[in-house]
Amino acid sequence: MFLTRSEYDRGVNTFSPEGRLFQVEYAIEAIKLGSTAIGIRTPEGVVLAVEKRVQSPLLEASSIEKIMEIDGHLGCAMSGLTADARTMIDHARVTAQNHRFTFDEAIKVESATQAVCDLALRFGESVHDEEAMMSRPFGVALLIAGIDEIGPQLYHTDPSGTFTRYDAKAIGSGSEAAQSELQDKWHKQITLKEAQVLTLRVLKQVMEEKLDQHNVQLAQVTPTGFEILDETKLQEVIEAM
Amino acid sequence: MPDMNSLAHPQQHQFNPYTENGGTILAIAGEDFTVIAGDTRQSEGYSIQTRYAPKVFRLTDKAVLAVNGFAADGNMFVKKVRQRLEWYRHAHAKDMPLRAIARLIQTMLYARRFFPFYVYNILGGIEEDGSGAVYSFDPVGSYEREACRAAGAAQSLVQPFLDNQIYFKNQTPAQDTSHPVHLPLHSVLALVIDSFTGATERHIEVGDGLEMYVVLARGNPALQSLQDLPGAEEVTGTQAEERVFVIRRDLKKD
Repeated sequence: MFLTRSEYDRGVNTFSPEGRLFQVEYAIEAIKLGSTAIGIRTPEGVVLAVEKRVQSPLLEASSIEKIMEIDGHLGCAMSGLTADARTMIDHARVTAQNHRFTFDEAIKVESATQAVCDLALRFGESVHDEEAMMSRPFGVALLIAGIDEIGPQLYHTDPSGTFTRYDAKAIGSGSEAAQSELQDKWHKQITLKEAQVLTLRVLKQVMEEKLDQHNVQLAQVTPTGFEILDETKLQEVIEAM
Repeated sequence: MPDMNSLAHPQQHQFNPYTENGGTILAIAGEDFTVIAGDTRQSEGYSIQTRYAPKVFRLTDKAVLAVNGFAADGNMFVKKVRQRLEWYRHAHAKDMPLRAIARLIQTMLYARRFFPFYVYNILGGIEEDGSGAVYSFDPVGSYEREACRAAGAAQSLVQPFLDNQIYFKNQTPAQDTSHPVHLPLHSVLALVIDSFTGATERHIEVGDGLEMYVVLARGNPALQSLQDLPGAEEVTGTQAEERVFVIRRDLKKD
């Protein structure tokens, strides 16, 4: 019997006759609803910035966490269903720690990214009668920033488990406008300071609210390691804009 | 017909999974090279099983592993380490650095804490910073980076000799002079040959053949002299900056 398109919409691991996995594609759509996140690679390190949507004056802005540490040399910004990112980051942290335990060295940025992506396609997987661990694809995209022996690197991952390396990348609702702005402004010799200011300038353009130290979060990975900029340091960058 | 007398008493049988196969290994680190050596005799009790059973193995272009103890465990262990090195190369697109191999060997040995590989390992090679390095292990994974180490049947004969000749123990430098921190390659090779000829004289389980692996760091000036050395065979893998050579010598067969 011929199956109508809507029937392929439901199964998470059923290809449509055109060769598409609709649930994965919808998951990628979910990211376009998320808050904007930006990453910029410079020769000195990688900068990550996210907007925090503070919907209410009663909301504690510091409780919104969209940039997280994976390891001393690895950081991560997210957009989409941020709750899903916790599972992925937890996996990345365990992988990074296991690598240090077994090899007495920091994991490479690409290897950590690969580990996260290995998890992304585990939905709908089950053994015999056992309940599947994940029922749907992750609804989140990540910007993974880090430094290893190759130098500073920035990776983008999406719900299809694909990862790509970028010099500068924007994800989330304002990503289209932000990406074209990054394409104009990024250059090979951009400094870390310039990159910090650039991320905030681009965020400012795509944000609906007025940008201040409460509704953005800025982080960087430099040879000294991962660091989320505190309010005073963030204020300095905002003033430099 | 069962022996009724023996059935009357409890009998105990035991399977011993381990054998000691003799032989000796040693490694010495220089400033920009490392020498890892072992004899090739394999014995069980008073019988020689073979006169050529290698105990020293090239793992990568900057790492060589010597294994001594129970030969079957040693060969299996090297096989497993090599498999892990290949997996690592596939996962991380590079050769495993020496200190990472050292840590990996610890984890692999300790994983068998309650049925150990009956093997003493000595890992030698070049670190990421270009320095020569030796790591020595006990059978359950305790390890340490050192300048030199001997292990195996003649450890008690060779190690004191190295302590004296490498670390200058019990030697007082002449007035206004000091002992060298690192020895040059030719003196290290001479010490290795002397160690093994000495051990062959005084220990029945050591002899037959000697294999000395030399790992040279990038741009080591000793490269030309090794290439010219008769009997030195280069065993470097592809396009590496570090160079690996084997030098084989006969030892007494009695």
